[in-house]
Amino acid sequence: MELIINGSLRELEAENLAEVVGLLGLTGKPVAAEADGQIVSSEEWKQMAVRPGMRIELVHFVGGG
Amino acid sequence: MSSYTGGRAGLTGAERTIEADSWRIGETTLTSRFFLGTGLFPNPYVQMEAIEASGAEVLTFAIRRVNLDAAEDDSILQHLQGHSFIYLPNTSGARTADEAVRIARLSRASGLSDWIKVEISANERTLLPDPIETLKATEILVKEGFTVLPYISDDPVICKRLEEAGAAAVMPGAAPIGTGLGLLNPYNIGLIVEESTVPVIVDAGLGTASDVTKAMELGVSGVLMNTPVAKSKDPVRMAEAMKHAITAGRLAYLSGRMAKKRYASASSGLDSFKLQ
Repeated sequence: MELIINGSLRELEAENLAEVVGLLGLTGKPVAAEADGQIVSSEEWKQMAVRPGMRIELVHFVGGG
Repeated sequence: MSSYTGGRAGLTGAERTIEADSWRIGETTLTSRFFLGTGLFPNPYVQMEAIEASGAEVLTFAIRRVNLDAAEDDSILQHLQGHSFIYLPNTSGARTADEAVRIARLSRASGLSDWIKVEISANERTLLPDPIETLKATEILVKEGFTVLPYISDDPVICKRLEEAGAAAVMPGAAPIGTGLGLLNPYNIGLIVEESTVPVIVDAGLGTASDVTKAMELGVSGVLMNTPVAKSKDPVRMAEAMKHAITAGRLAYLSGRMAKKRYASASSGLDSFKLQ
């Protein structure tokens, strides 16, 4: 299905947010997620079903002051 | 009179003073007064060495989208594994309170920290903090249980308002971010220190060790720096210089400087004992 991840359209076959994170190679990394504007803690990723057109944001810590 | 020899071997009186001179942010006790930023370093190796040389216990970060086309381009966190630092993420990039609150919530969802440096800049050229949005964001995030450290203008009035809103510390800027201009308004920073009941941390605008010492001499609890270390020619050595500058300024503040005088006064005693 088509998902909008970090602002870009992506074609991924996934049922839930945990699978999306896995398909992107980010499992186990300190990543935080938002789905359609709602913050989803990593414990809830499996329960968070994804729908076509869902807007997902995946963020992490980078260098900064 | 520096020959204290009792107590722990190898430590001077000044070193013992510094060791015992801990301070607190919220529930956390800190020994180092150096908050070090993690941007702009030439490479992770130099960065790790600089962190070590700085003695910093608190490291700052920004929150950004993961680059999905280069997931290997991993965050610096992988280099910090095995160390115990306190992470102070910032809300840089936010232009409004709502944007800052969103970044703060995402940051906390990472599970790494519930500390947040509120940083809201609407003007790209100066990156000066928007005090009204900063106050709004601080009020919201304090209610949500964050430990909030707002980056703010060197204005005693807004610093007091942030303290009343529950900020765990206030972080007035010395000068605009990344300028290295040093303390532009030491008078105001001094007033903020006098009036504040939470720690004051000078954040942004410092350029070199003497700037840091001057800030510490005013009685601030700590300093937050990134560019002056990362963009020096030798970041590891500069990190160490800054650490010593903090110690020097802190000890001078605790010692209480002499009063300034307009005219000379001899340091060798009474005129009557001068050779005639």
